[in-house]
Amino acid sequence: MSESLAVGRAAPQPSAAEPRAGRAKLDARRKLQLALGTIWLFDGILQYQPSMFTKAFPQMLGDSARGNPAVVAAPITWSAGFIGHHLAVTNAVFATIQVVLGLGIAWRPTVRLALAASAAWSLGVWWLGEGLGGVLAGTASLAGGAPGAVILYAVLAVLLWPADRDRSAPFEAARAVGRGMARGLWLVVWGSMAVLALLPAARAALGGAIKDMAPGEPAWLGWADSRLGALLGQHGLLASIVLAAALVLIAAGVFLPARGARAAVVLALLAAAALWLAQGLGGIFTGMTTDPDSGPLLALLALSFWPRAATPATPAASATTAGPTGSLT
Amino acid sequence: MTHMNGPGWLSGIFAALMLTVAAYCAGRLVMARLWRRPTELDTDAAHIVMGVAMAGMLVSGLRTLPAGLWAGVFAAGAAWFGGQAVRARVRRGAVASPWRCLHATPHLVECAAMIYMFLLLPASRLSFLALPLALFLLGHVVVQGDRLALSAPAGSGRPRLAPRCAVLCKIAMGITMGYMLVLML
Repeated sequence: MSESLAVGRAAPQPSAAEPRAGRAKLDARRKLQLALGTIWLFDGILQYQPSMFTKAFPQMLGDSARGNPAVVAAPITWSAGFIGHHLAVTNAVFATIQVVLGLGIAWRPTVRLALAASAAWSLGVWWLGEGLGGVLAGTASLAGGAPGAVILYAVLAVLLWPADRDRSAPFEAARAVGRGMARGLWLVVWGSMAVLALLPAARAALGGAIKDMAPGEPAWLGWADSRLGALLGQHGLLASIVLAAALVLIAAGVFLPARGARAAVVLALLAAAALWLAQGLGGIFTGMTTDPDSGPLLALLALSFWPRAATPATPAASATTAGPTGSLT
Repeated sequence: MTHMNGPGWLSGIFAALMLTVAAYCAGRLVMARLWRRPTELDTDAAHIVMGVAMAGMLVSGLRTLPAGLWAGVFAAGAAWFGGQAVRARVRRGAVASPWRCLHATPHLVECAAMIYMFLLLPASRLSFLALPLALFLLGHVVVQGDRLALSAPAGSGRPRLAPRCAVLCKIAMGITMGYMLVLML
C-alpha cells in the first residue's frame, strides 16, 4: 500500500516553467478531502451558535434516547445530563474539536490523524448525539437525516483515506479500501436508506417531519417544505415507494459499467439535493442545528464514486499526488 | 451598526484574535519596508482594516467608525480586489507582482461579506446570502490550510516575508468571518 499525498516528504521545488507557482495541483481525492474538511469546519462553526449554549442543546441530545434499548439510551441520558451541567465548556470543546478536525484534514501532515479522529468522533456522536439515528428506536426518518448524518462523516473518512490499495480503481472512493469494500459501503448506505423509506413509521412520519421543518426557516424555504410535506402527507405510500425504488437503483448502480454507474451517481446527487431540501437545508437558517444534515455528505459520497476517466498512470502524473509538492507564495 | 449576538466571552476571543491579526499585519507592512522583503501589501492592508472593523462588530466597546463609513471603505476594497481579479484573468500567465495578492477573488468576497454585514443585515430577506458567503470563506480557509504544508518557492529575488504566517492570518480571518456570518443566518 503506497503512501499518498498526506505525509511529510521532502517537497521538490516547482520548475521555473510553472506559470502560477502558488498552487500545487490537487488530485480528485484531495479535493474531496478538502470538501469534507470544509463541512467539518462549517459543522464546528454551527456548534458555536448561541442556541447551542442553552439548555436546548442537551435537551435535544437527551431526546435522542427515547425509544432506544436501555443499553443504548442510558449513556445518551448520562452524557446529556453531563453536558447540561457543564454546558458552556462542553459545547465550546465540541465546537472546537470539529473546527480542529476540519483544519486537520486541510493540513497535509495531519490528514490521517484528522480522518481517523473524525471517524471515531462521528461514531461517538452517532450514538450519544443522534441515538444511532433512531434506527433501533424505529423513529428513523430520511427527512431527519436517517440513518444519521454524522455516520456519513465516518464512511467518508474511510473512503477518502490517503492510501492507494487499488491503483487502477474506477472511482476515488475505491483507492484506499478497494472497489469491493467501497461498493459494499455504498450499498449499505443507500440500501439502508431504501429500507428506512419503506418502514411503516417512517412512511407515516415523512410528510409531517418535512412540514415540521418549516417554522423558523426563511419564507421561501418554509413555503417549499410545507408544500412538500403536505403533498407527501397525502400520497405518503406512493412517495415512499418511488423514493425507495430510486434509492435501490442508486445502491445497485455502482455495480454497473461506467455509463450506468455515472447515471446512478447523478441520480444520487439529485436524491441528495431533494433530501436536503426535505430536511430544510439541515435547519441551517433556524439557528438551532448542529450540522448541515445528510444532504451535503451524501452528495460528497456520490462524487467520490464518480467513474474516473481511464488514464494510464505515469511517473509524472503520480508525482503530482505523491507528496506535499508545490510552493507557498 | 451591526452587532453580533454570540456568547460574550466567545465574541471577546474572536475580537482579540482579529485585533492580533490586524496588529500583526501592520507589523508586516513595516517589516516588509525595513527588510525589503515582498509581502502582499493589499492583503495585509485589508486585514488591518477588516480586523479592526470585525473586532468592533464583535465587541461593542471596540467600535470605531460608523457602519456607513466602514461600508464605503470595504466598497473601495472590493473595487480594488475586483480590479485585481479582472487583471489577473486578462493577463493570464504573466508574472505577478510579489507585492500584490496572487488570488484576489477570496479578498473580493471578504470585502463583499463585510459590506453585507455592515449594511444588509437588517434586511432579513437577504439573510440567506450569509450561507454562500460563509461556505465560500470556510472553503477558502481549508484551501489555505492545505497550502500551509507546501514549500516556499525557490524563485529569483528576495524570499517573501513569513508566508506561512500570512496564510495563518487568512485562516483566522476566514474562520472569524464565517462565524459572524453564521450568526446572521
